[in-house]
Amino acid sequence: MKPEKKENLSPTNLVLTQNQKESLLKFENKTDEEVWTAFDRGNELAFNYIYRIHVKSMFRYGSQITCDTGLIQDCVQNIFIQLRDKRGGLNTVHHIKGYLFKSLQREIIRKLKKDSKLGKDGLDQNETYFPVTLSHETVLIHQEKDEEFRQKVKTALNELTARQRQAILLLYEEGMSYREIAEAMEFSEVKSARKIIYRALATLKCILKK
Amino acid sequence: MKYTEYDTIDFLSDEFFIQWVKNPDKNTRHFWEKWVQQHPEKRDMVLEAASIIRSVRYANSPELSDEMYVDVFETIVKAGNQSCRKESKSWFTFYPLKNIAAIFLFGFCGWMVHFHMIVGVQPVIPAETEEITVLRTVPPGKRSIITLADSSRVFLNSGSEMEYPKAFSQGDRWVRLKGEAFFEVKKNGFSFSVFAKNTEIKVLGTSFNVKEENEDLSIALVSGKVQVNDQKGNQVRLNPAEMLAIKEDGKFSKTSFDSLEVTGWKDRILVFRSASFREVKRKIENWYGVEVSSNGKVSREWKYSGIYKEETLENVLRGIFITSGMQYHIENRKVTLYDPK
Repeated sequence: MKPEKKENLSPTNLVLTQNQKESLLKFENKTDEEVWTAFDRGNELAFNYIYRIHVKSMFRYGSQITCDTGLIQDCVQNIFIQLRDKRGGLNTVHHIKGYLFKSLQREIIRKLKKDSKLGKDGLDQNETYFPVTLSHETVLIHQEKDEEFRQKVKTALNELTARQRQAILLLYEEGMSYREIAEAMEFSEVKSARKIIYRALATLKCILKK
Repeated sequence: MKYTEYDTIDFLSDEFFIQWVKNPDKNTRHFWEKWVQQHPEKRDMVLEAASIIRSVRYANSPELSDEMYVDVFETIVKAGNQSCRKESKSWFTFYPLKNIAAIFLFGFCGWMVHFHMIVGVQPVIPAETEEITVLRTVPPGKRSIITLADSSRVFLNSGSEMEYPKAFSQGDRWVRLKGEAFFEVKKNGFSFSVFAKNTEIKVLGTSFNVKEENEDLSIALVSGKVQVNDQKGNQVRLNPAEMLAIKEDGKFSKTSFDSLEVTGWKDRILVFRSASFREVKRKIENWYGVEVSSNGKVSREWKYSGIYKEETLENVLRGIFITSGMQYHIENRKVTLYDPK
């Protein structure tokens, strides 16, 4: 038995892989701001690096809002095409991931609205976004009571508002800092990111104690 | 507020704590491990918070296929080229952008040459060519280091066997393992899979130990990240310093591990940590490729601890004798141990 595989020797793929090795070496230890500045100046390796590091998580993030993968693909493409068009005059970005997540969410909501799959208020209206699940991680600690506890936490998490779940997922699943969460969720202050998490956890605690 | 006054919810929202759970580094690990030791009463709370943080996941998490990954990239770059042609005037007035165009052109020429030389000469490499694999077996008493085509290194322990492709085709790195091996996987943007028992261990660039013994499998992660998929569809992710043990019946548990005990073998260090007689016997047999038998009964309480770096069999046995009183006798490739008590 051999793992299933797909040969993909398209020319783009060759160039892509070669550049990626180089871009990794060059940018791995740089800060987000440095990478972004290089990208703004037209450095193709910087673009390669950003694409490589973030495109998968962007795709996954988009899947929390819509299951239309074609639409997510379009949105991701548009974002990068627009950014590349504006090179030379891009604003400073401190947290690339947060910035890309924010752009993607906007783009998806815009598209969904255009296709009138969505009411006017966008995200706040749709409470089905950002569903959460709990992996088997907990099994390992709470041996017997575990399954019951896991179900309880899972139900409780899904009773939170979509925004609260979004914040919690960014914090735990994506491992973002409060600052990055503020960027991704378009809060003007980091304080608001802390607040939404704290409120979400307090609600969670209440539900669990019931 | 002090950490000692923390409630579960405070831990759950503390960035420094989350950082330790999600991406432990020297600082966080040093601090939190010490802190938990000093506040054993908070241990359960800390473990509970950590397990919640680790287990929260997106309910939908489709993976971007390799095909789409390339398609999207191509679309983006081509869209850029088009607008370059349309607005050629403004592009060339802007100095750095002129360079980019030059790089594109240069890259394109390079690619044409490359494409015609490689793809042109050997027109199409069929996608389903039979992959040539290599099978390496290491007999008891020997250890071996293998460098794979992507320059990842594998330390193969005695009495183990590994099958791997001679050359990795694009984005398809895998090996099949029986026995024990330590992997140092080089990052190259594609995942690397180790198949052992009915389990797939999937990584990007990390170092970890995989050991298959009797019907059990254990995976110990030293650095990076690994994801383990068993045949029942369970998925577990490991963080550095965590070890996953999968029993014959598919039950699994996660623990911390003693890195010298688990991975010392690759540096030729033989480690016993309160080892039972059975363990000592098995380890020596494997390490030196000898047969060990005992003369008379050995007490169940008998335990032995010791560390040997590149020592001869005789020296190890003498060491065991000195601290535990176990006598030994070597004849050819047979060792007899006996407890004089």
